[in-house]
Amino acid sequence: MINHDFELKLQAYLDDELSAGEAAEVEGRLTQDPEGKALLAELRNTRTAMSAGELEVKLPESREFYWSKIEREIERQSRPVAEASKLSWFAWVQRHLLPVSGVALLFCLLAVMLVHSEKLTPQYGETELASDDMGSYTFRDQQQKMTMVWLYDRNDDSQLADQSAPANMEEE
Amino acid sequence: MKIKDHSASSDEQLVGAAKKGDMRAFEELVARHRDKIYARAFSMMRNEDEAVDLSQEAWVKSWQRLKQFQGESSFGTWMTRIVINLCLDQLRRRKRQRTESIEEMSEESGGVERQMPVVNVNPTERLERAELRKKIDQALSQLSHEHRTALVLHEFEDMEYKEIARTTGCSIGTVMSRLFYARRKMAVLLANLKTEELK
Repeated sequence: MINHDFELKLQAYLDDELSAGEAAEVEGRLTQDPEGKALLAELRNTRTAMSAGELEVKLPESREFYWSKIEREIERQSRPVAEASKLSWFAWVQRHLLPVSGVALLFCLLAVMLVHSEKLTPQYGETELASDDMGSYTFRDQQQKMTMVWLYDRNDDSQLADQSAPANMEEE
Repeated sequence: MKIKDHSASSDEQLVGAAKKGDMRAFEELVARHRDKIYARAFSMMRNEDEAVDLSQEAWVKSWQRLKQFQGESSFGTWMTRIVINLCLDQLRRRKRQRTESIEEMSEESGGVERQMPVVNVNPTERLERAELRKKIDQALSQLSHEHRTALVLHEFEDMEYKEIARTTGCSIGTVMSRLFYARRKMAVLLANLKTEELK
């Protein structure tokens, strides 16, 4: 029985894929190997048969229909590229301008807060009351950092005499 | 605007125009080579719908890669390589999805072909060319994808072992084995088809 390596060598010999030395070696062996000779003949017959070529096959679609699908696909695939280029511009803005504008916004906010913080400084001597009927006295103790506010009814004269109890107290 | 008639242009001229974005020139190339490209896809896939889809995919790919075509081979050969690669990708995907069967495991080792006696009948004898082509086609359809691919690339695309190995991503040894068993099986199939006819 022929070993597989020699079978493949026989085939390579037939396909002209062996070097001159290897081909001579195969030819030498074939003179005393009828089994090898028969296999080579079979391989050669198949190769000759195959050389008749392929069965002619025609596309089962009309030229127009076949092309229309190709054209549509080409157009469809070129569209995302255009969209992607728009998207990439947007992505560039997102990537570069948004962080810059974010930082700028932060600066603006800090600036506004700085300006307002000066305005927001407590004016302890100017307490405003919503009601005209109410009156008030305030006392600021700098050492204790405490402001005391006395509220009273302007219409009630009796309360003017008694101002001992504080009505509200604010602490810093 | 007058549309240019490309029917008299050569493939090289059409490729040049298509590279510049002329879709009508590309359409003419498709019209000229569509049967050949479809036939190659069909010979590998043995399925009409799949062959149509893959051949169209090949045309779309070629449009996208047209700038890469430098004219080292003919346009038809370049296109054929694209459709072959797409078919091989599809066959690989299909193989991954399939459960490994005994038949597949014996693809390279030869399976039953290993024990087959040598066929003495010459399948080409007393057969008309067209008739023989039909028999070859019938026999090819009975081979596994791996064996058929090896035969098609070697016999019909005139690829050498090395080139088949590169295209299919296999070793040269695997290519040789596949080709050997494919031929042996073809010999049996063609002989059977012939003896059936003689009866």
